[in-house]
Amino acid sequence: MSSTADTETAVILPAEGTQDAPWHRLDRRMLLIRPVLDLVKSLPVLLGALLFGHGEPWQWFGLVFTAIAVFTGVSHVLTSRYRITESQVEWHTGLLLRKQRAIPRDRIRTVDVTSEPKHRLFSLAAARIGTGRHSHGKGPGKDELVLDAVTVAEAQRLRTLLLHRKAVPAAESATSEEPIAPSEQLVAAVDKRWLRYAPFTLSGLAVVGAAVGTVYHFAHELHFDPVQFSLVRTVVGHFADTPTWVSVVLAAVGLLVLVSVLSVGGYILSFWNFRLTREPAGTLHIRRGLITTRSVSIEEDRLRGVEVREPLPLRLAGGARCVAIAGGLREGKGADKGGGLLLPPAPVARVHEVVAAVLGEDPAAMPLTRHPRRALYRRLSRAVIGVLILAAALYGLSWLGALPDWPWQAALVLLPFAVLVGWDRYRGLGHALTGRYLVTRSGSLDRGTAVVQCDGMTGIVVERSFFQRRAGLVTLIAPVAAGKGHYKVLDIAEHDGLDLADRAAPGLVTPFLEH
Amino acid sequence: MSEHTTSTALRLRPPAHRVSRRAIGYWTTTAAILWIVLIGVQTLIASTSDDAPAFLSVTLVISCVLAPLHLIVMPQWRYRVHRWEVTGEAVYTQAGWLKQQWRIAPISRIQTVDIERDPFEQLFGLAKITVTTASAAGPLRISGLTHGRALELADELTKTTQAIRGDAT
Repeated sequence: MSSTADTETAVILPAEGTQDAPWHRLDRRMLLIRPVLDLVKSLPVLLGALLFGHGEPWQWFGLVFTAIAVFTGVSHVLTSRYRITESQVEWHTGLLLRKQRAIPRDRIRTVDVTSEPKHRLFSLAAARIGTGRHSHGKGPGKDELVLDAVTVAEAQRLRTLLLHRKAVPAAESATSEEPIAPSEQLVAAVDKRWLRYAPFTLSGLAVVGAAVGTVYHFAHELHFDPVQFSLVRTVVGHFADTPTWVSVVLAAVGLLVLVSVLSVGGYILSFWNFRLTREPAGTLHIRRGLITTRSVSIEEDRLRGVEVREPLPLRLAGGARCVAIAGGLREGKGADKGGGLLLPPAPVARVHEVVAAVLGEDPAAMPLTRHPRRALYRRLSRAVIGVLILAAALYGLSWLGALPDWPWQAALVLLPFAVLVGWDRYRGLGHALTGRYLVTRSGSLDRGTAVVQCDGMTGIVVERSFFQRRAGLVTLIAPVAAGKGHYKVLDIAEHDGLDLADRAAPGLVTPFLEH
Repeated sequence: MSEHTTSTALRLRPPAHRVSRRAIGYWTTTAAILWIVLIGVQTLIASTSDDAPAFLSVTLVISCVLAPLHLIVMPQWRYRVHRWEVTGEAVYTQAGWLKQQWRIAPISRIQTVDIERDPFEQLFGLAKITVTTASAAGPLRISGLTHGRALELADELTKTTQAIRGDAT
């Protein structure tokens, strides 16, 4: 696939990676895509202003807004250029507001190549170049570079060029530009049978929720009462004759089927052709996706650990998924999410195999040290008090006449479940230290076992709340410049926690300890 | 529980240094301004509005009782719990009232050292130091240092940090 592109670019390549490397531009075919997308995005403002501002002087505001949006998009494609010199990746953009960014090449940790449907039209891809600097929750991170979009071949070339420098130390010579077809070693590939875990991810629930929300919102905005709609009326009328519990059961079953079907669909869309491979240069390469394809490379040196995630439904079905804790991968919502996914929902045994293959050992399967019994009381009281506060608030609202009686009664029904969850959360708590890795597990509804490389910790934080102090417990926090940013060992006995910290980061804590 | 295990149980000792005594004045002043604004706004509404809501008199009384308590207790307490220490290898801070927190960052992992001074800190000759590492778990903050001490400390940390190679991630 890349052979044609390499001959294409071969003319300018010799100078790549030198002080006066040639400048590259974004693919011009984005000029056909960007304006259409910008137009669609600003459609609500455009139509809103035209409809509601009819006859008003500001009704053309939408048009101006759209024009600016389209212009910005076009100028971004036209003015952006980038080049790769010996020491850094340089990027210039902007017409009115000019921006320049340079990222030192030795800081580049990940290259994430995403092809959304808009890109696949012309086989383009957006390449995200991530550094080790952690940019959690700050939108587009300062240390990140997004090239939206270049050809797929160019994206692959960038990936090889930027991440495989160790294998090719003479980066300035033309040798690095040879299409090194690395003999990749397959670590894991998706299996059709794993589809059975899809319904347990409940990923379809979000889709149903969003759809219901949108429909309700529009119906509300347009003063459209769904009950007057004949189809809805027939359905509602049909149910009016059946007892309430039958309707509730039917609705629940219907929702369950719908969510399951959507979850399976989501699984196929996201994890189609999932492949995790290891390249000889020391990178992990993840490829996946049916419509939006995604290709993420993680430098293994920069892997700070892995996390095995077992949300309750998936855990009951005997499944789990595995996520990389690596610098430069963005944590976030939507398209950013799951960049470091090492294995989609799969049998637990398979997950542990992948952990062992990636890290060289499997600390996640180690027997963990349980936490003291006082931690159980804290888990239980937190779960129960949370439900009680909810019930009290709902009772207050019903007392004021804002709500009917059943919400607070329903909240009280949750109590036994809260106790169960609290107990399960305690059962899940555990920690271990295995040579290079600190292992910590917590959570019930969203259980996660994090395996964090001790060398990756950027310090130690010990936290103790008023109630923890009374119980003689502390929370040990291991900050890392990757993944979630920090991983907690919850409610560990003070002595054990400090001892663990002392062993995980030898010498760091010792001078501050006393007996 | 801790009574009979103290002899063997590990504990973190508090960091060696307290912040400057002037910080007490600074904390009192900033908190006082907040309370004055809060109480002032409520009084203004209560006295000028024709139909001031009934709960306003209640919140006003509560504010007037809480304000002096807060102004007397908070700065003293904060002065007692905010401590810091810098050794050749690490920065160590302690903070927190109900939720106590001890942070240790190795000097080799420090990325930036910032000094900040708001107008009131300038008035009291104080500064706050923020030491960040590559992690998103939050930086180490030492507030209430004298300006001279903060400069000295930042200088020392920057020198040590520069002497250590690597990108600290």
